[in-house]
Amino acid sequence: MSGYGKSTNDVPLEGSIPTGTAPLESILCTEELQRRPSRPPDYEKENRALVKLVSALADSPGTIFQTLAETIQDITQCDSAGLSLLTKDGKKPHVEGQRFYWPAICGMWNPHVGGGTPRNFGPCGDVLDQNRTLLFTHFERRYPYLMPVSPTAEECLLVPFYVDGKAVGTIWGIMHSERRKFDAEDDRVMASLGKFASSAYQSWMHIEDLEIQVAKREKAEAEVRDLASGLEAKIRRLVEANVVGIVMWNLEGTITGANEAFLHTVQYDREDLAAGRVRWKDLTPPEWSDRDERAIGQLKATGIFQPFEKEFFRKDGGRVPILLGGALFEGSGNEGVAFVLDLTEQKRQESARVYSEERYRVVVETASDAVVNVDDKGSIVFANPATATIFGYDPAELAGKPLTLLMPEYMRELHQTGFKRYLATGRRHMNWQGTELTALRKNGEEFPVEVSFGEITRDGHKTFTGFLRDISKRKQAEQALRRSEAFLAEAQHLSHTGSFSWRVATGEITWSEQLYRIYELENSVPVTLDLIRTRVHPEDLTLYERMVEEARIGASDFEWQYRLLMPDHSIKYMHALARPTRDQDGQLEYIAAVQDVTARRLAEEARDKARSELTHVARVTTLGTLTASIAHELNQPLSGIVTNASTCLRMLAADPPNVDGARETARRTIRDANRASEMITRLRALFSKKSAVIQSMDLNEAIREVIALSLSELQKNRVILRPELAHDLPLVTGDRVQLQQVILNLLRNASDAMSTIDDRPRDLLIRTEPEDNDRVRLSVSDVGIGFEPQAADKLFEAFYTTKNEGMGIGLSVSRSIVEHHHGRLWATPNNGPGVTFSFSIPCRPEGLTSDGTRAGRIPSVSDAA
Amino acid sequence: MDALPREAHSYAMELRQVGRAVDRPLISVVDDDESVRESLPDLLGEFGFAARTFSSPEEFLASDCVDRTRCLILDVAMPGMSGPELQRELKLRRREIPIVFITAQREETVRPQVLEQGAIECLFKPFSDTALLDALNAALRVH
Repeated sequence: MSGYGKSTNDVPLEGSIPTGTAPLESILCTEELQRRPSRPPDYEKENRALVKLVSALADSPGTIFQTLAETIQDITQCDSAGLSLLTKDGKKPHVEGQRFYWPAICGMWNPHVGGGTPRNFGPCGDVLDQNRTLLFTHFERRYPYLMPVSPTAEECLLVPFYVDGKAVGTIWGIMHSERRKFDAEDDRVMASLGKFASSAYQSWMHIEDLEIQVAKREKAEAEVRDLASGLEAKIRRLVEANVVGIVMWNLEGTITGANEAFLHTVQYDREDLAAGRVRWKDLTPPEWSDRDERAIGQLKATGIFQPFEKEFFRKDGGRVPILLGGALFEGSGNEGVAFVLDLTEQKRQESARVYSEERYRVVVETASDAVVNVDDKGSIVFANPATATIFGYDPAELAGKPLTLLMPEYMRELHQTGFKRYLATGRRHMNWQGTELTALRKNGEEFPVEVSFGEITRDGHKTFTGFLRDISKRKQAEQALRRSEAFLAEAQHLSHTGSFSWRVATGEITWSEQLYRIYELENSVPVTLDLIRTRVHPEDLTLYERMVEEARIGASDFEWQYRLLMPDHSIKYMHALARPTRDQDGQLEYIAAVQDVTARRLAEEARDKARSELTHVARVTTLGTLTASIAHELNQPLSGIVTNASTCLRMLAADPPNVDGARETARRTIRDANRASEMITRLRALFSKKSAVIQSMDLNEAIREVIALSLSELQKNRVILRPELAHDLPLVTGDRVQLQQVILNLLRNASDAMSTIDDRPRDLLIRTEPEDNDRVRLSVSDVGIGFEPQAADKLFEAFYTTKNEGMGIGLSVSRSIVEHHHGRLWATPNNGPGVTFSFSIPCRPEGLTSDGTRAGRIPSVSDAA
Repeated sequence: MDALPREAHSYAMELRQVGRAVDRPLISVVDDDESVRESLPDLLGEFGFAARTFSSPEEFLASDCVDRTRCLILDVAMPGMSGPELQRELKLRRREIPIVFITAQREETVRPQVLEQGAIECLFKPFSDTALLDALNAALRVH
C-alpha cells in the first residue's frame, strides 16, 4: 500500500483489489441518513447559493465547478466538497470515460484537485452502478488506494448527476471527523445541487462548443485573410517581379499604368509613362492593327481577349516580339489590364530549335542508313533518301504504305502482332537497339539489316523512327571470316599443326582446336603451363622448363622440338615455333605454331633404314631390266671373237695357209676378247652390292663407261645419243659407282620417255659443264613426252612413275645419291619437246672422305686398257 | 713373219677381193658394230664370197651395191633405221634381196617377226661359221 499516493494528487488510475479488503456493504451507511435527526432546510441560504452559481455560470463559465464545490461545502457545512467527472484522457469530461477525475475540490481535500478514482473500483463508480445517492464511511477500507489521501473520510455523501439521461459524474461532500454527521437535509440539498450541476454541466458543454465553433470560425477567417493578403501579395509580387509586363490600358490607346518589365521591353521609362507618351496604339506597327482590331472585338464580346503574338515598336524604333493577353476590368467598358511577354528569347530558342531540326534533317537525309518514320498505325510517314538506295523504293512512294512492305512475307504477321502488343501493353517483343532482321527490297531480294528503333509520344500518339542498316556486306565479310577460320582449322587439321597464344603476364593460354586434338585434351579444359607439363615426355621436361623460362625473360623467336608422352604411352614428336608480340597494353604475348611431326619422324627413320636396302634393290632392278642390254653388249665382242677365230682356222687350213690373214684375225680375236672382259668387269662393279667408295674421279670418264654399257640399249630404242662433255671439267670427289647408277638411270629414263616418239629424231643429249663455286653439272635432255609441270616434284617420289611398267624407284634413289653428294637433282621442261634432268654436285663436298686406299678397287676402262 | 711388207700384203688382199668380186656373189654386211664389219668380210672371203660392209642401212641404200647384192647380212638394232625397217624398205622398193639377220639380242620376238617378213635366217651373235654358211647357201639357193 505504501507505493500509492505519496504525492497529494497522485491517486493511481489502476489498482488491484488486495485480499481481505472490506466488502462494499461494510463501508456503506446510506440508511443512516433517514434514521438521523435532520436539521431544518435553510432555503434562503440555498437560494443565495444558487444565484451565486448562476451568475458564476454567466460571468465565468470556467470557474463553475469550483463555485459548485464551494456551494456544496457552504450549504452542507462539510469539511471537503467537490465533483468527479468521467474522463477518457484525464482532462476533458467524457461520458464513456473509464476514470473519474476531480476538476474542482474545496475544503481540506483541495490539494487533491486533478486526482481521481477508477470508474469500476471506487465510491463514484459504486454510485453510478446503484444510480442513487450513497453515504460511505471510511471507504479507504475497501479502496486502499485512497488510504494515502489525507485526511481520511469519516463519511462521504455522493450524489450522481446526469446529462441527457446518462450519468457523467458525481458531486460529493466529506466529513473528516465525527464533528457532524450527514443527514436527510444534506441528502435533499445535494440532490437539488445535483440537478443544478447537470444543467450547469450542459450549459458549460454548450459554451465550450460555442467557443470551439467561434475559434474555428476565427481560424478560418484568419486563414482567408492570410490567403487574401497572400494572393494580393502574390499579384503585387507578379507585377513587381517584372517577370511579365503588366499594363493598364484603355480602348482609346493609352497605357495608364505599367510595371518595369513592360517599360523595359519597350525601352520607355517611367517619365514617358507619366507624360502619356506610351500609347499602345503607337507602339503597334501598322501591319498588326488588324490583329488588334480583332482582339478588341473579342474583348467587347467576352470581356477578355485570347493571348496572341504580335510586335511592339521599341522606343528606338526597333521591334520586339511579344505575347499579349488581357481583359477588361469588371464593370468597365473601357479600361482593362493586359500582360505583355517578351518573346525575344523564345524566338531565339525557336530559331535555334529550327536550326537543330534542320541539322537533324540534314543528318537523316545524308545518312547511309535507311531512316523510316512510322505512325502508331504502322504506316510509313517519312523515309529518307537512303531508303531508295537500300530498299529500291522512292521515299515519296513509301509514304502512307505499311512498314511491313519492307519485310519478307513470313515476318509481317509476327511484326504486326508484336506491334499491336507493344501499343497495348508497352511490352517490346524485340530488342530495339541493333537487332538483326531480314528485310525485303523492292526487287524481291531479301537481305540482312540491323534495325534500331526509337519512339516519340506526341499528343498521345506514338511515332517510331527506325534506322535500318544494310549489313549484307558485313554478313558476307563475317561469313568469309568464318570460312577462312574454317579453312584455317581444316588446314591445321590436315597439316597436324596447332597454334596457341600465351600472354606471359597473365599466364592466359589460348589453344586452337587442333592443338587440343594433338594433346588429346577436351576443348573445354583451360590450358595452363602445368597442364602442358603433364603431357611432356619426362626426358624432355628439363628442356621444356628451360624454354618456358627463356620465353618469359627474352622476347625473341623460339623454335624447339620435344616429345609428348600420351596416356597410352605412345610418343608424339612436336616441333614448335613461337614468335613474340606485344598486345595493346604492351604486354608480352607469344603466338606459336606447333606441328605434330610424329608421322614425319617415323617416316624419316623408316626411310633412313630403307635407303641402303632400296639402293641395292634399285641396282638389282636396273640389272634385271638391263639383262638384255648386257647380253647384247657381251654378245657383240663374242660374235667378233667367234667370227675371227673361225676365219683364222679357215685361213690356216687353206693351201697355202694364209698366215698373214690368220695372224690378223687372231689379233682381232684378242682385242675383242679384251673388250668383253672389260665389259664384264664394269658390270660387276656396277651391280655388285658394295659400300660407297669415295674417291676423286673424272665424271666424263664415268659417263663414257655408262654410255658404253647402255649404248646398245639406246640403239635398240633408236635413240641418237649426242655426248657434249666439257674438256675442262674438274675432277669431282664421290662414289663413282653410285654416280654412274644415277647417270644410267637418267639415260634409261630419257630413252623410255622417247619410246613412243616417231615424228622426230629421238635425240638424247648428255652434257657436262663446270659451274661456278667449284661445282660441275651434268644434264640429260630428251625430246620425249615430257611431264606435266605440276608433276615436277612428284617425279622424285619413290614409286611415282609415268611409265606403265617399271618400279619408278630410280629417280628417288637418284636424288638420294646426288643429295648424299651434297648436290641436287632436278628436272625442267625443255623449250621444245621433252625434259632436261640435271644434277649439280660440288667438286669437293665437305663431309665426304676420300679413301685413297680403296680407290683401286674400282676398276675403270683406263685400268683395263 | 710376213713375206711381204705390210703395204704389199694389204694391196694383195685388196686385189684378191676385187678380183674375186668379178665373179663371186656379192654379200653385203650392214652392222653398226665395227668388230663385225672387220671380221665378217674375211670369213666371207674364205667362203668364196665377195663382201662389202656398211655401218648403217642408210649407207647401204645410198650405195651402188643394192642391185648387185646376192645376200644381205643385216643387224637388227642400229641407231637410225633398224634392220627390219630396211627389210620393209627394200620390199617397198621391190628389191627382193635375201636377208640373213644377225642380232646380239636374244629376244625371241624379233626372230619370228623377221622370218615372217621373208628373211632367210636370223642368227644370234655369236654364231658359228657353219651356221652362217648354211644360211648363205640357203639364201643363194632360193635365188
